[in-house]
Amino acid sequence: MSKSLQRVKAYILVALCGLLGVSVGGNAVYADESGGSYNYSARGNPVASPSAYQATTLLTGEKLGAGAFKEPADLHVTADKHIYVMDSGNNRIVVLDEQFKLVRTIDSFNRDGQADTFNNPQGLFVTDNGQVYVADTGNQRIVHLDPDGKLVQIVDSPESESLPDDFQFQPVRLVVDKAQRIYTMATGVFDGFMEFSADGTFTSFIGANKVQFSPAERFWKMLSTKAQKSQMVMFIPTEFTNLDIDDQGFIYATNGQGYDDVKKLNAHGNDILRREGYFDPGGDVWISSYVGSPRLTDIDVTDSDIYSVLDAKRGRILTYNGDGYLMYVFGELGNQLGEFSTPVAFDRIGDDFLVLDKALGEITVFETTEYGRALNEAVRSYYKGDEEQANRLYEKTTQMNANLDFAYSGIGKAKLRQVDYAEAMDYFKRSLDQKNYSKAFLLYRKQVLRDHFTEIAAGLIALVACLYLWRRYRKAKGGKKVVAA
Amino acid sequence: MSPLSREYKFPFHLIVHPFKGFWDLKYEHSGKTSLIVSFAILFLMVVTNILQSQYSGFVVNLSDPGDMNSIMEILYVVIPVLFWCVANWSLTTLMDGEGRFVEIFVSTCYALTPIVIINLPWVLLSNYISLQEASFYHFSGSFATIWFVFLLFVGNMTVHQFTPVKTVWTILLTVVTMAFMAFLCLLFFSLIQQIVSFVYTISQEISLRS
Repeated sequence: MSKSLQRVKAYILVALCGLLGVSVGGNAVYADESGGSYNYSARGNPVASPSAYQATTLLTGEKLGAGAFKEPADLHVTADKHIYVMDSGNNRIVVLDEQFKLVRTIDSFNRDGQADTFNNPQGLFVTDNGQVYVADTGNQRIVHLDPDGKLVQIVDSPESESLPDDFQFQPVRLVVDKAQRIYTMATGVFDGFMEFSADGTFTSFIGANKVQFSPAERFWKMLSTKAQKSQMVMFIPTEFTNLDIDDQGFIYATNGQGYDDVKKLNAHGNDILRREGYFDPGGDVWISSYVGSPRLTDIDVTDSDIYSVLDAKRGRILTYNGDGYLMYVFGELGNQLGEFSTPVAFDRIGDDFLVLDKALGEITVFETTEYGRALNEAVRSYYKGDEEQANRLYEKTTQMNANLDFAYSGIGKAKLRQVDYAEAMDYFKRSLDQKNYSKAFLLYRKQVLRDHFTEIAAGLIALVACLYLWRRYRKAKGGKKVVAA
Repeated sequence: MSPLSREYKFPFHLIVHPFKGFWDLKYEHSGKTSLIVSFAILFLMVVTNILQSQYSGFVVNLSDPGDMNSIMEILYVVIPVLFWCVANWSLTTLMDGEGRFVEIFVSTCYALTPIVIINLPWVLLSNYISLQEASFYHFSGSFATIWFVFLLFVGNMTVHQFTPVKTVWTILLTVVTMAFMAFLCLLFFSLIQQIVSFVYTISQEISLRS
């Protein structure tokens, strides 16, 4: 008797220790050397998170031996990890290699035997085979150079019925797809991106933002006369602020309309971005009215549908996975290493980030931490369908960051596959994933019912028998007490 | 059978026979026992509300357990009922209603019965349903609400001896009055707050300067 009591005590002790462990684990946030970052919980509250990236190096034009950058506007990293910096103020392109060594600068090209230069170029894109496309904004043209810097083609003064006669073509950002079609964002164009075919003829607009106006505005417009209408402010779609293209040819775009600020456009220009996360992609969720809503100025998409956006107002880079869950946040405005003054563009070099500061003319290099690597790889494995690996990596990330709620959904899916339904339900509950919870629950319920079929059936039969006997007993007593309705 | 236990069964009779039920409630039943039953129903309504937010199944309940506050849950039930009764009484005294305040309160509480008896079992049941089956949960919730509104309507009509059309008008006006009362309460509290902070500032200034 006393022995069993002792055993019970031991069990209770173990259980209590377990509870203690759980409560400690629940609050544990890895403190790593670079200080903390944050993320948002499933319920949308800001929670502590370890840093996924930390700044390691600061590159300036002088350090690179290319002379100071002057208001650089864009940055592009090619597949073979060459870095192209659009040094707009100096009208040149600076090319660096993987080790941040200067390869060459492009400041002029040969056009019909004469040297031609850029005039305040704003954007550039380099294809996988080294073709350089420059949005030569001041000269109102797009310049296409081959890998050796020789002129291939100049795209200017597009002609179309859908363009006004006095149209000023001022391209600022551009991307090129695998079929050499050029998509460019031009100043003062509200109809979306301008698409040019490989031979440089303007074909169409793609992906215009939709105009939205409130019922009140619609009402006033309905009441007003034609003369009044002409006096009113026109409702025009917002312009895009930047774009990028992924391996499959989908265009990722940012705009500043205040909702759906991130878009993934297919060939028809329809938005197909997945917004399955706890909140829609597009910058911070909790924003102070003092700073205001995010202003996204650059977007970069890498493999496995992972994409990042830059909020220039706060100097933050937020990275989302293909489903739209926020993976990690880094960057800030300030004066220290890893903080920016006027971040304007960024790109990934492998898994590291390069962030370009316009006013300071600096490039900050961010490298992954242990946590960042684990999370990147977890999302990649999951995207590839390697659930075993994803599960292992997600468990690793949750050990480092218990607040990473969407990772629990990933673990839950692996548990579901391992026929561990009860545990899967627990994980889905942690990540507020009702859909998958319900899926796991149905399987769990079926399993329980099947495993305990004899007990349940016996219980039901016993219940029916008891009811029957009870009624017989009541009847035998006279049935007077039974209340008639 | 004692009268009190009959009284406890009466709400179940009333919700299926509302016209006769509310009539009997007004003219046949003792005011005191009805009042006790009303408070019991209101209490059960509060309990239902708290249990719902705390123990409903995950597929129908996303409320944050960390944000749960039982005191607030009590207020969420009691305040609207009180507001309703006060607003309705204030209006109907001006509109030749025959109901007394107690009668309005009792009829309102009795009308809450279906919400309690439908939602309370669902708290337990909702733990054993999937997302597809949750539509039954939502359906019965809406059904309970519609039933409640119907009972409220019949109760109000019977208590005040109004015509149906006049009852509809009174109910709409009562809702407007409730909004007005809420506004007045907010105004009152914010003014009191201002006065308190004013007095506090003055006293602080005096004590710091002297």
